[in-house]
Amino acid sequence: MSHRPPALVGAALAVTGALALGACAPSAPEEGTGSASGATATAGTDTLTIATTTDVVNYNPLIGNSRSDYWITNLMYPHLLSIADDGSKEPYLATDWGYTDDTTGYYEIRDDFTWSDGEPLTAEDVAYTLNAVKNDAPSGTFYGQMGTFASAEAVSDTRVEVTLTEPDTSLIEEIGFWGNIVPQHVFEPAGSVAEFANDGSDGGWVSAGPYVLTDVQVGQSYTLERTDSFPLVDGGVPVPAKVVYRVLPDVNTEILALQSGEVDAIANALPPAQVEQLRNTDGIEIAEVTGLGYAHMVYNMQNPDLATTEVRQALAHAADYEAIRTVVLQGQAVSTGSSPLMPVLADYYDDSLTEYAFDPELSRSLMEEAGYTAGADGMFPVSFRLIYSLQDSVTSQWAQMVKDSAAEAGITIELQGTERNTYLAMTADGDYDIYAGNFAIMDDPVTNFRLSYLPGGAINYTYVDDPELNSLVAEAGVATDADDKIDLMRQAAAIVHEQVYDNVMYTQNLYMAYSSDWAGFVSKPSELLSIVNPVSVASAHRTDG
Amino acid sequence: MSVALFVLRRLGLGLVTVWFAVTVTFLLLRLLPGDPALAVASPNMTPDARAALLTQYGLDQPLPTQYLLYLGQLVQGNLGTSFTQSIPVVDVLAERLPWTLLLTASALVLTVLLGIPLGVAAAAHRGGLVDRVVQVVGVTGQSLFVPSIGIFVLYVFGLRLGWLPIGGAYSDGTYGAAWYGSVLAHLVLPALSLTLIQLGSYVLTMRATLVDALDDDYVVLARANGIPPRRILWKHALRNALLPATTLIGLQLGFLVGGAVLTETVFAYPGVGRGIYEAVTQLDFPVLQGAFLLLAVTVVAANTLTDIAYGFLDPRVKAS
Repeated sequence: MSHRPPALVGAALAVTGALALGACAPSAPEEGTGSASGATATAGTDTLTIATTTDVVNYNPLIGNSRSDYWITNLMYPHLLSIADDGSKEPYLATDWGYTDDTTGYYEIRDDFTWSDGEPLTAEDVAYTLNAVKNDAPSGTFYGQMGTFASAEAVSDTRVEVTLTEPDTSLIEEIGFWGNIVPQHVFEPAGSVAEFANDGSDGGWVSAGPYVLTDVQVGQSYTLERTDSFPLVDGGVPVPAKVVYRVLPDVNTEILALQSGEVDAIANALPPAQVEQLRNTDGIEIAEVTGLGYAHMVYNMQNPDLATTEVRQALAHAADYEAIRTVVLQGQAVSTGSSPLMPVLADYYDDSLTEYAFDPELSRSLMEEAGYTAGADGMFPVSFRLIYSLQDSVTSQWAQMVKDSAAEAGITIELQGTERNTYLAMTADGDYDIYAGNFAIMDDPVTNFRLSYLPGGAINYTYVDDPELNSLVAEAGVATDADDKIDLMRQAAAIVHEQVYDNVMYTQNLYMAYSSDWAGFVSKPSELLSIVNPVSVASAHRTDG
Repeated sequence: MSVALFVLRRLGLGLVTVWFAVTVTFLLLRLLPGDPALAVASPNMTPDARAALLTQYGLDQPLPTQYLLYLGQLVQGNLGTSFTQSIPVVDVLAERLPWTLLLTASALVLTVLLGIPLGVAAAAHRGGLVDRVVQVVGVTGQSLFVPSIGIFVLYVFGLRLGWLPIGGAYSDGTYGAAWYGSVLAHLVLPALSLTLIQLGSYVLTMRATLVDALDDDYVVLARANGIPPRRILWKHALRNALLPATTLIGLQLGFLVGGAVLTETVFAYPGVGRGIYEAVTQLDFPVLQGAFLLLAVTVVAANTLTDIAYGFLDPRVKAS
């Protein structure tokens, strides 16, 4: 009998694995399949390889909520609207949009979009998508925007009319921006859009974007091939013949792969500490992308101490925001003037609101004004628990700075960093005194304020219910005149600022890395769009080609 | 005790262990803070939508009901459907298992092939330079952290020297023999990293048991009989020293699986370990339950086989 069972067991397992891998081995593509036949002279033969940190979880864009889901399904399912650097909405599938009366909106869509199986994309697809999302309530972001949506109807091949449950001048732009349009002839037979996996198991995917998913190697790569036409790029045909998303879960591995030439771009924004180093690396280009979100601290007013305005103001003046932006974000962030109306939202931004000054003495005065007396050690007899996600490395770093600077003002902050799911659960349960976190996209001020500051709002982490603020937001939500709306929102922001219903600390600038062998990317704001939005990917070309 | 009874007893213990692992996994997942609806859905989801998702996942049922339903499914071979991907868990695991088998088994083979000679060399030169070097390297190896060693070897062999690919299990666009070559090239660095982190304990155990064996009476007798030292070392002492090493391999399988989670993440290797990492972040209970069941069965099966082999190797074990 052999005395080497360990080696034999291992060898047996290795052989089993190798044999099983046989089933994983990809087959060579057949001649004649692959890229679309309608390629023109402007269309190249190159493959653009993009790194992402996660696999696709859902191929159904109405459910998907992760970055990779968004990036890949975005290349197949068009939005009605896109967004400009100043946060204003731009045409995409829709050429015109608006309202015909208080409770009726409309979209006029292009007539030159076609699904990759030859079916035309019409207003019927748009109406079907909107109604299905409303009725089936899929868990993605899209459904969350449909509060005042009642129904949609295709009144012609290119016009969709939307009925609202009540006046809401934000709805048409918000669902136009957040929602992907899906093919009715594929999704409707599958039943509820909340449960349809759309995993390509029934004959592959159907796309109306620049690319269509053709091959999935789970944990490894997602290959998309060029479609026959994409009217939103010059020449009407995407330039790269293929786009491959490679899954590299570790950001350091992503960067090594970019440097070695194994990938051409990284879809995720770079960590602040990596930006300068890569900017000085040969063969790597860095694109700056406008951020559309913000990082903030929120004070839970269910805590009696924090229900006192002076205490919230004291806390707001007990953090050194400039130091945080300089040290933790290495200067890659801008102040919003402590306002939720960020500078990037140029029309709404109000420069009369200024950032809370870091002033420990003022904080102490405010605490005393609120009725607290510091002990012999200079500390007030209160302590606040600040929660944050340990997966968020930037917030984890500045949370410590917030604690240290608050101590200078005599205020004790206990840090409670937790794993992300615990953090989400604590947030949902209101189990915190101070919440620290960030939002990726806050594109529409009215929607943002409704969710953040109205009673029952899904992200009203302050638990604020201020009648004056409620009234202003409600009024802005039905204002049809743009100037009136801006004025109302500025008044609302002034209340949020004065009462510290939210402590907005900065908007982070985003930096994306790509190989200098490539050019032609068209940057859009936010990490979700950045240089990997469909128009950008379809316009990219090799510099030597 | 008859051989059949001995084997049956070991198999029975294995089944009980698997049931215990299944139950603990089931309970632990439900004790985690948060719920899958929060983990996968939009933050601006309404409470109604969240409740509907929990109903869809079956998490609105009382815990005993969920447990009985789960066990009922399990005995029918049904591992359930992934919360997040809406596809059968069996399919999720089947895509990933071969890669983990290949990686962990390669690391296991490498560990044994490198560990035995190094342990023998150290024991044979006890107190000498070779012994000291092996001990230092062994202890250092035990303290290595997978992500650190992973990034280091990727930087050196992938970026600087350009000898081996960075991340993934194969290169896209390779087919047939080239694909197998690509698989091999992509396997080298993760397998090497996994081997390095567990080699230390194997070498040190091998050395210690061999040092003990070399002091045993039968070795003294063999020396007195004039048997050549090399033959005593490899034919007599090593055979006995291999018994604890066999047990260690069974134990190390569990560590290997744990190491695979990190290794597969750093090297973007598409195995079960990385699937576990992703399922944890999404609180995808069915995938986690399926993956841990798979790992429990693998570890228990390996240990059961080791026990049975041990029983044949050493009759005292079977008698007890």
